[in-house]
Amino acid sequence: MRFPRHRTPALAAICAAAIALSAAGCSSSASTQAGPVATGAAAGTITWMANQFGPTSTDVRKTLIAAFEKAYPGITVKLEQAPSDEDTYRSELVTQISGGSSSFDVYNGDVVWPAQFAKADLALPLNSYFPSSYWDKFSKGMVPSLTYDGQIYAAPLFTDNAFLFYRKDLLAKAHLPVPTTWEQLQSEAETLQKDGLVKYGFAAQFNSYEGLTCDWTEFLADAGGSSVNAAGTRSTIDSTAAVKALDYMRGLITSGVAPAAITTFEEQQSESLFDSGQVAFLRNWTYAYADANTPANSKIVGDVGVTNLPTFAGQTGPGYSVTGGWNLYINPHSKNLPADVDFIKWMTGAQAQTIMAEQGGVLPTVASVLNNPRVQASNPAFPVAAKNKLNARPSFVAKYPQLSEAIYTNINGALSGSVSTSSALSSASSQISAALSSNGL
Amino acid sequence: MTSTDTRGGPPQTGRRPEASRPARRRPRPPRSVIQRGSARLGWAFASPALLVVAAVMIFPIVFSVVMSLSNVNVTGNGFQLSGLTTHNYSILFGSPRYWHDLEFTATYTVVTVTIEMMLGTLVALVLERLTRARGWMMALLLMPWALITVVSAELWAYIYNGVYGMLEAGLNTVGVHGVDVLGTPLQASIAMGVADVWKTTPFVAIMVLAGLVMLPADVVEAARIDGASAWTIFWRVRLPLLRPVLAVAVMFRILQAFGIFDLPYVLTGGGPGTSTETLAVLGYKVLFNDLEFGPGAAVAASTALIVLVVCLLFLKVFRTQVAEQEG
Repeated sequence: MRFPRHRTPALAAICAAAIALSAAGCSSSASTQAGPVATGAAAGTITWMANQFGPTSTDVRKTLIAAFEKAYPGITVKLEQAPSDEDTYRSELVTQISGGSSSFDVYNGDVVWPAQFAKADLALPLNSYFPSSYWDKFSKGMVPSLTYDGQIYAAPLFTDNAFLFYRKDLLAKAHLPVPTTWEQLQSEAETLQKDGLVKYGFAAQFNSYEGLTCDWTEFLADAGGSSVNAAGTRSTIDSTAAVKALDYMRGLITSGVAPAAITTFEEQQSESLFDSGQVAFLRNWTYAYADANTPANSKIVGDVGVTNLPTFAGQTGPGYSVTGGWNLYINPHSKNLPADVDFIKWMTGAQAQTIMAEQGGVLPTVASVLNNPRVQASNPAFPVAAKNKLNARPSFVAKYPQLSEAIYTNINGALSGSVSTSSALSSASSQISAALSSNGL
Repeated sequence: MTSTDTRGGPPQTGRRPEASRPARRRPRPPRSVIQRGSARLGWAFASPALLVVAAVMIFPIVFSVVMSLSNVNVTGNGFQLSGLTTHNYSILFGSPRYWHDLEFTATYTVVTVTIEMMLGTLVALVLERLTRARGWMMALLLMPWALITVVSAELWAYIYNGVYGMLEAGLNTVGVHGVDVLGTPLQASIAMGVADVWKTTPFVAIMVLAGLVMLPADVVEAARIDGASAWTIFWRVRLPLLRPVLAVAVMFRILQAFGIFDLPYVLTGGGPGTSTETLAVLGYKVLFNDLEFGPGAAVAASTALIVLVVCLLFLKVFRTQVAEQEG
């Protein structure tokens, strides 16, 4: 087998030309920063890129669009289906927006994205398009999490909290109270399993992904610790509180309370196991209540209770819930900003927020809607949410994705038993430090 | 670029003793004006195609190399590159995760390619013996190869699932419970290897079969007349003759295995922890999750370089062996 020798000079010439081209291409792109101003009456067609949210049985996005078009007859909204996998979705957004695409105008984005997207210019700063009074209506603490470097980059669409879902019927059969501490949850789960009432005691999201960072943040906060300091400048994950939290989580698996496969569970796997009647307790988000009561995909309709997450014994309850949820962002290349702004204002208005709460089963971001008695009565999880102790992930750090990756990969490793608690925490700590100092992968 | 001297022009006898390094290509006779003219015309005709090749192949490669050596800023209007720096590579080489992923990818490549070559050759030998059902068997064998990896990875994920997976159910019937196949690093690596071997062994088998069919029958015949056993014929006659085909198969497999992305991405997501994370998955995560385009480009460029070097070394060793055999 012979390979012809390369014609090196020719190749070199082509490479040189390509380098020159690429350099030219890069230098010219900087000056074309878009800076249009919203003026004139809003009309035309805009595209909303959004993934499915709320319960799986209904598509609340279409209801919202129909109601919006009725309120704003001049504007048509086209729905573009976003990938359901969050990482895939983010890479699609990055590729499209940094490539200058204006094929969508408004897009849904995770609550942990603002800093990262702001730093990379992937979202339009909204301050000049919305009056400062617009931001007053949102629940407390929401707007600061959307702010990076003094600019607000997104409008809160819906928020999400974590809850403990439990089987009312099983607890009644075994004459057990609803657990308020993690220790109690474990012992009750063991009792239920021993009595043969249920196969597994507990399910959550322990796969190596963002969801584990959420679960971990809660357990860690319950134990009195945190992953980084309040300023987001230093790792604090290698602590006795973290050892306590991680040992407890690992103990759930070794004692058989949680299935061994929990280290590969995301929301959907944990939820479907619970809905199939094989788990006594589930940590999940708001929509899990509606899903568990949908006869088409649940065997436990009517048997589900919802309460605040427990905390560790000796701490004041309830346990912490991280804040999740999704925001509306504007594509900086959007050609119809007045319509984008109208759409976002309407989506964060009373009518849309009520639709989302009542039909979408998600928590509204507007405080007055959330506190409306009719909305409160529509979902047993909402009054519970009012009592939730909230804890945000440190997503105000622009390097949050690396920070979170350092957390979930190492914690997942320890949960699967492949590394010890102490070495997982020290390795997470050094990776967090590297990420914070911009010197890590 | 002194190595280009054997191409065209008079033989340069003064520079190098001919005996030590025989010229691979004989010097061409001087070309006439008409020949040169038509060559120029040929280039002119081919240039649009060459430009397309440059645009879609060479430009992205060069761009990613340039990117890996610059400070990269992602903006809403594309990338901004500035300066010349080795910072991206120092981040890479200072990260234990990179070295772990490199080690895992290399081990994974060596192990799976070795198994696939052995199994593939065995399958090819069986296929060669088949006369009537060979077409059907080949079609059957090619099915895993023809399946899109994302789909087959999902299928394997279903088999391996720790709660409702088929493997778990099978183990339950023999009294083994709670084995989470993808739950520990070693098991997850093996599970991934099995899925890979299942999918790509047919490719090796088809390649080797093509080689076997084309072997000169008279050589084998001669060996048989000389009284060689089937075993000896395989090891001493057929296998050496198969070498070029095997080399191509190995090279293709190394290239693919080293750059594997879809299987680990879908099956394990690189977990548990980062234990089954390949360099391609690392590159993807760094580029598109973390938006760190400088270090991400460095992952891509260094991976490409490693594969290139490995393949060149492999070819060199292979050529030397063939040369020794021939002469």
